[in-house]
This record gives sequence, C-alpha cells and structure tokens, in this order.
Amino acid sequence: MQVDWLTVAAQIVNFLILVWLLQRFLYRPITDAMARREARIESRLAEAKSARAEVEAEAEHLRKKREELDASREEVLRDARQEAAALRKEMEDELRKEMEDRRRAWEDHLKDERDDFAARLRQRAGHQVVGIVRRVLKDYAGSDLSDQVAGTFLDRLVNLDAEARGKLTAAAGRAGGPARLESNPPLKPAMRGQITRAIHEHIAPDIEVDHDEDEDLLLGMRLTIGEQTVEWSAARFLHRLETTLDEVIEGESRRRAMRMPASTESG
Amino acid sequence: MEISPDAWVLYDWRGLQLNATVVFTWVVMAILVLGSWAITARLSESETVSRWQVALEVIVTTIRDQIAEVGADDPGRYLPFIGTLFLFIATANLLSVVPGYQPPTGSLSTTVSLALCVLIAVPLFSIANRGLAAYLRTYLQPTPLMLPFNLVSEASRTIALAVRLYGNVMSGTVIVGILISVAPFFFPVVMQILGLLTGLIQAYIFAILAMVYIGSASRTRPRAESPSPTDTGD
Repeated sequence: MQVDWLTVAAQIVNFLILVWLLQRFLYRPITDAMARREARIESRLAEAKSARAEVEAEAEHLRKKREELDASREEVLRDARQEAAALRKEMEDELRKEMEDRRRAWEDHLKDERDDFAARLRQRAGHQVVGIVRRVLKDYAGSDLSDQVAGTFLDRLVNLDAEARGKLTAAAGRAGGPARLESNPPLKPAMRGQITRAIHEHIAPDIEVDHDEDEDLLLGMRLTIGEQTVEWSAARFLHRLETTLDEVIEGESRRRAMRMPASTESG
Repeated sequence: MEISPDAWVLYDWRGLQLNATVVFTWVVMAILVLGSWAITARLSESETVSRWQVALEVIVTTIRDQIAEVGADDPGRYLPFIGTLFLFIATANLLSVVPGYQPPTGSLSTTVSLALCVLIAVPLFSIANRGLAAYLRTYLQPTPLMLPFNLVSEASRTIALAVRLYGNVMSGTVIVGILISVAPFFFPVVMQILGLLTGLIQAYIFAILAMVYIGSASRTRPRAESPSPTDTGD
C-alpha cells in the first residue's frame, strides 16, 4: 500500500499520451470511417430507391404500352378478318354472277343453235320430202307431179262430206268475192279448168276463181272461200313432221342442259 | 514476494528508477496503439470490411453507446477519455495470463494516477460545459452547509476509485501467488480465469463510474438529489 509519486506522475503522463495516441489512431479514424460509410450507404440507398422508382415507372410505362399494343393488334386482326370476309363474299358473288351469266349465254347460244338447227332441218326435210315424193310419183305414176296433186285435190273436193261442203257454200254466199285457189307447183291450164268446174259444180255455181301460186305450200293446193279453207299440201305433213322433230329436239336439249351445269361446276 | 510492481526496478539511472509498472504500462500502450494503427491504416469504407475492423468498430460503438446510456448528450466528446480508461485497464488486466507479466493496474501508483485523472477531468468537462461559476455552485448544493461534505465526497470517491481497482487486481495476483504455493495444479488456473473476468468487470466499473461522475457534474440542469454513485461497492 505505498504510492510512488514519481511513478504516479509518470503514469499520468503515460495515460495522457495514450489518450492522445488512441484518439489519433483509433477513435477518430474509426468514427470517421463509420460516418462516411453510413453516409455512403444512405446515399446508395437513396440512389437505389430512386433507381427503383425509375424502373417501376419504366415497367409501368412498358406494361401500358404492351396493353395498348395488344389492344391495337386485336383491332387490326378483327379489321383484317372482317375485310377478308367481305372480300370473300364479294368474290363469291362475282363468281356466282359470272357463272350465272355464262350459263345464261350458254343457254341462249343453245337456244339459237337449236332454232337454227330446226330451221335447217325443216328446210332440208321439206326439200328432201318433196324431192322424194316427186321422184316416186314420177317413177311410179308416170305423170307430172302437179297433175297428181291437182288430181288428188280434185278427188278430195269432189268427195267432201256434206257438212264441209255446206260450210263452203255458205261462205261463198257470204263472201261475195272470188274464191282463191293457191297451188304449188302452178297448175296447168287444163287442170285449172277441171278444178274450176268442180268448184262450180259442187260448191258454188257462179263463183269466180282466182288462181295463184304459193311457195309455202311446197307441194299441194289450198282453196279459200271467205273464211273457209280446204287444203291438201306437203307443207301440212311437213308441219306435222316438224312438230314431232321439235318435240324430239326439245327433249334432247333438256337432257343436255341438265348435264351441262353439273360439269361446269365441277370444272 | 513482491506485491506491487513498483518495487520491481528494472533500470536505475542516477536515482531515477525505471520500475516494472511503467515498463508494463508502455507494453500495454504499445499493444493498443500498434494494434489500432495496424487496423486503422487499412480502413475500408466499402461494404466489405475486415473482421478486425469490425471488432474495433464494435468496441468503439459499444463504448459510445454505454457513454450515451449514462446520459451524456454528446458521446463523441467523452469517448477518448472514457474509452481509453476502459481499454487501458481491460488490456492491462487481461494480459495477466501471460507468464512473467505484472499488471500495472496492480500498482497503487497507477490506479491513483488514473483516479487523479478522473478527479481533474470531472471539473474540466463540467466547466467546459457550464462555466466555472455554475461548476463551483454545485459544491453549495443543496445548501452552503453541504460544502465540506461535497469536498469530502469528491476526495473519497477518488480514493475509492483508486483503491477499488488496485485492491481487486492486486488481490487477484496475490491469491494466485498464494494458491500456487498451496495447490499448484488446478486452482491457480480457475483463479486466473476468474481474474480475467474480474479484470474486465473492474475496467468496466472504473470507466462507467468516471463517466457517471463527469456526467453528473456536467449536466446543464442539475437533477434532484440522487444517491451518490460513490456508494457503488463490490
């Protein structure tokens, strides 16, 4: 328990030196470093916060942009679909119309062809028939064809049934004009006289008879008194033949018309 | 058997004796200063910090927090004085595990010098904070009649500081010495470990008491009468 005052003084000096040294080498550097680090961390935190806010704003912006893009894409797609549908409908309509036009043109063409064919057929048939008849009559009867026609007509005139004859007579009475006798080929004068006589004898005794030629008859004769007519001609046979042919052609063309559209569509 | 390292004279030059107390004090000072310098010379301010720097930062911030807890407004101001008291006493006591080392705190001269430093520091900090008149007026509180008691209190707590630290450290050394002569194998180790604990506790008590004295004398507004910190016993 003794105090060495010299040592006490030395220790006080030592302690004060130690305080100064530690302040110089320990407390100040450490507290300064901590303060600086704290400030730096705070500034970096603030930086990070601002950067984060920036990034979030950017993300928000991008998300909005993407939503807008999605929306506009939907719209564009919808428009395109509508346009495509409209275009398809238009093209279909056009195609249908074109097909309809083509079918109609084809039908018109077919009809023309048929009519043409019928006319040609009629003409040829007529000529053929007349030619054949003429040759046959010439070969077998040994007489002129016009005489045969006139003879036949004369027979029919003579053998008219009572009702027809009555009608003719009544018509002659009402008409007050000449009877009209058309023939093809033209009658010979002798035959003309025979027929005129037959008319006078069987129908009207004093009626005047005009002789005339009509190419349309082809072969035959037609007597017209007033509104009554007696006719025997190849034209009437041909007309009947023509009707028959028409029926045949009509049926054939209908069958073809039914086949034709099907083949067009499949083509 | 030497009780005080003061008596262990290592060098004598014309009557000026260099005793073990001063020499071991220099050793402790060297360790503290060199260690601090070695670490703070490579201070890092980035996020990656060496573990030594972390240790130093923990020590410094802990001391600062303790000073703030006692009630100081500005802990940084008292940090050098209080921190050095704690670090010096703690290091001097902890080194006692090293064979051949005599803790300088086991010398009454050292503890008296530290207590004298506190005795001087208290009025210095107080005057710096509040002015001389306000400091002197504290001796007349609550009545001028208390002046002699206040003076005695000032002296007695200084003596108490010195003797408490000296007694604890010295007794630890003495007890170990006695135990080595009685039971040399096991008990000295236990007592050494106990000595490390009491050494740290004494360092803490000394520093905290110094801060309490400084803090109570430096407060701008004197608080109501509180039990004297000098009553703290151990």
